[in-house]
Amino acid sequence: MSLLDYDFMQRALIAAVLVGLAAPAIGTFLVQRRLSLMGDGIGHIALTGVALGFLLQTSPVLTAIVVAILGAVAIELVRERGRASGDVALALMFYGGIAGGALLITLSPGGTNTVLVGYLFGSLSNVTPTDLYVIAGLSVTVLGTVALFARELFAVCQDEEVARVSGLPVRFLNLLVAVGAAVTVTVAMRVVGLLLVSALMVVPVATTQQLTRSFRGTIVGACLLGALASVGGLVLAFYADTPPGASTVVLALGGFVVAAGIASARRAVAR
Amino acid sequence: MSVFDLAGGQVVLGGRRILEDVTVRVEPGEFVAILGDNGSGKTTLVRALVGLVPLSAGTLSVYGEPLARFRDWARVGYVPQRLVVGGGVPTTVREVVASGRIARVSRWRRLSRADWAAVDHALEDVGLVDRGHESVATLSGGQQQRVLIARALAGEPDVLVMDEPTAGVDADSQDTLAGALEHLSAAGGSVVLVAHELGPLAGLIRRAVVLSHGHVVSDGPPPEPVGHHAGPEHKHVHPHADQPVGDAGFGLP
Repeated sequence: MSLLDYDFMQRALIAAVLVGLAAPAIGTFLVQRRLSLMGDGIGHIALTGVALGFLLQTSPVLTAIVVAILGAVAIELVRERGRASGDVALALMFYGGIAGGALLITLSPGGTNTVLVGYLFGSLSNVTPTDLYVIAGLSVTVLGTVALFARELFAVCQDEEVARVSGLPVRFLNLLVAVGAAVTVTVAMRVVGLLLVSALMVVPVATTQQLTRSFRGTIVGACLLGALASVGGLVLAFYADTPPGASTVVLALGGFVVAAGIASARRAVAR
Repeated sequence: MSVFDLAGGQVVLGGRRILEDVTVRVEPGEFVAILGDNGSGKTTLVRALVGLVPLSAGTLSVYGEPLARFRDWARVGYVPQRLVVGGGVPTTVREVVASGRIARVSRWRRLSRADWAAVDHALEDVGLVDRGHESVATLSGGQQQRVLIARALAGEPDVLVMDEPTAGVDADSQDTLAGALEHLSAAGGSVVLVAHELGPLAGLIRRAVVLSHGHVVSDGPPPEPVGHHAGPEHKHVHPHADQPVGDAGFGLP
């Protein structure tokens, strides 16, 4: 049987394309301001949100989004103050997120840490139609927001002080990136899992920038590569019976190795 | 209407008084250098003028509006002191310079032909027109500094505020920059710049505000070069108001 004969695979593929497009779109702005690990931190915090959903017996995705947004806003406010202690504050939040999740889940009715594993490493195969609507709606919102504010976001991530002197609402735009990252993390957690979310936001960007000179080329290329990697990962997972999240990230990393090879070959030729 | 009107300005950062009772007024068309030793408060003064550092006392108005109410930021171009341009993602020179148009374009439309003409003109002014499509990270430090100046020029500001625009910039680039600033000034624009050493800009500067330990210690025509430093081969200007002018080197070689 072909993989498209399964309803759940059709849904999973659509989700993979959307998440693969949205994650690098927001990831490019994080890489631009050298916050590549921010997605990772939000992923840690989101775990507490997932466990909270089980504890309150409501949708874990919903609570994860709320907690991830609160965490991302907190990270952004700490970053804005620019104190040296901000680094430590971030570390505290990350560990608190993981520990909180592991703790809250055991307090939930029938909850064990194995429930969290599906969220940590992704479990695309059980994406329900409702999940798909949520994933699709949020991914399109993230992509639309990035497209609408691209010029301002670029200016702020390029040079925050000059953006301020240009009269841009810098704090609003920074929070927009933070909230966008939080939403992306929670959407992508079904596809690649919270522990690997950041990879889908960052690796396609790192790959594309081996071969590009422009910001526009990088963001467009990274989105295409992200979609390719997450669809490829899913197909690989289906036929080779491997975890989809890990397959996606390994494929993306493979792409990076190839791109880095091409880039260094180019440099050697130029020399 | 003054470009900047700062009266009794005080800035306290981290519990330290950086500026104390600073009164500076910049009029349209003026070309003002802010001079002083390291730590005298030069950078803080220009950052306060553009609203990046809050005043703890005193008043500031920009083009006649109190700072908090001023909205017409397209009139102000700011060139910060940066060691490198950009972040972790490759960006072309033109992309950086085009971002200088941000205050003049609406979100709902693409950059127009006039916008790109302003970008090209700014690149011409700093002598980088043939480097527009290169990644800014591949440029030398001096060229990157010129990219920052072009970004501010692309916004076609009425006043250009620059923090050490010539630091680390080679002599040729400094001449190019002097030419660009001369154009701006001739068109009625104002320039406020922090300088450690004036170099080729010396001839353009009509007024120098000299700071020492956060106070304005002199405000008037720039100090004349003295002694053998006044020779045609020597362009250093010694802005120390409170120190004897001697042979001790000042600023970058």
